[in-house]
Amino acid sequence: MSDAAHVLIVEDNELVSSAMRILFESVGHRVSTAATIAEALGVARSDPAALVLLDLTLPDGDGLSLVQPLHAAGCKTVVALTGHDDAETRQRCLDAGCADVMIKPVPARTLVARSMGWLEG
Amino acid sequence: MNRAESATRLPASLDEGHATHPSSDRMAALEAQLNEAIVEIAELRARDALKTQFLANISHDLRTPLTAVITHAEILRDGILGDLSPRQLESVRGIISGGRQLLNQVGEILTYARGAANQLTLVSTRFAIQDVLVQVSALNESLIKKKQLNLTVDANDLPLVLADREKIAHVVGNLFGNAIEFTPPGGRVWLRATRVERDGSASLLVEVGDTGVGIAPEHHDLIFREFAQVDSTPSRPHHGTGLGLTIARKLVELHGGRIWVESELGTGSRFYFTVPFEQPEG
Repeated sequence: MSDAAHVLIVEDNELVSSAMRILFESVGHRVSTAATIAEALGVARSDPAALVLLDLTLPDGDGLSLVQPLHAAGCKTVVALTGHDDAETRQRCLDAGCADVMIKPVPARTLVARSMGWLEG
Repeated sequence: MNRAESATRLPASLDEGHATHPSSDRMAALEAQLNEAIVEIAELRARDALKTQFLANISHDLRTPLTAVITHAEILRDGILGDLSPRQLESVRGIISGGRQLLNQVGEILTYARGAANQLTLVSTRFAIQDVLVQVSALNESLIKKKQLNLTVDANDLPLVLADREKIAHVVGNLFGNAIEFTPPGGRVWLRATRVERDGSASLLVEVGDTGVGIAPEHHDLIFREFAQVDSTPSRPHHGTGLGLTIARKLVELHGGRIWVESELGTGSRFYFTVPFEQPEG
């Protein structure tokens, strides 16, 4: 297991982000949540995250527009979490600079297991 | 367009035998009628497109709360918030299974909406159909065991097929799921793939068969139609969106193939679909 890391969950549905928080805190990480693009940028600039889990549809715009600014703010790895399971969406995420793309709902165990790789990579 | 030209283009049902010497009044009335019909068709198409978009949006929006339900239940199941008693665990597993079932049905509606809006595209790779048949049967292993069905998988020595593996697996999975569902315990189900030649080009022929309840010949076309179930009453014993076979047909046709069924009531069913070994360029 990697050491405690700062994980930022960008997700506008509070029920989903609370589940993510419980999951990542259970394996010892420090978790922040943001429900909008503006909020996510605020968190990232004051406290860059080692891993960002990014929802694509946010109330103030396309989540993918955040990928470059998040990297620029010092966030290391950005992974897209989306409800769209088509090949085009996947490619759009990778083109935007996401390290990986996960289709919701990702099984809890899979998410925790994969996060180890993302935090090391 | 002159009158003579427009007269030849009118549907026979509107023409009523006046094609040779129509009065100009009658022609004008018919033309007006035709134009009205054209406008009406355009409006209906636009409304249909809106409905399809609505289906796609709602399916996507349903996934988010479902994600919350399933993930929170998995957190409980995995003991992250403390150990559960065996009965609590059984109940939580029920929540997860129900959530996943609902998720599959929502996924089906989304695929249907994309197909109806012509938004489905093929991502083709070369693969062995045998691998797909084995994968689909493995996914259904526990159900097959539970119903004590006798399964055979036969797809030896076939060339690789160039197709969208995920979509072909979806079609086989759908047909096989039906075969298992509609076959009483102790029956036989099978997956078979062979090579067929037609008009000089080779196609893959996949057969999904069962010794189940069967389908009356008059229902063979109906089952491939959208939202149609042979028994659509609320008390029907088999549930689902009624879209599975419509989607399967759409995915097969997207590959340039064909899907059909051979069956009679009480004799089981054999569903067949073909996919060309090579997809045409573009």
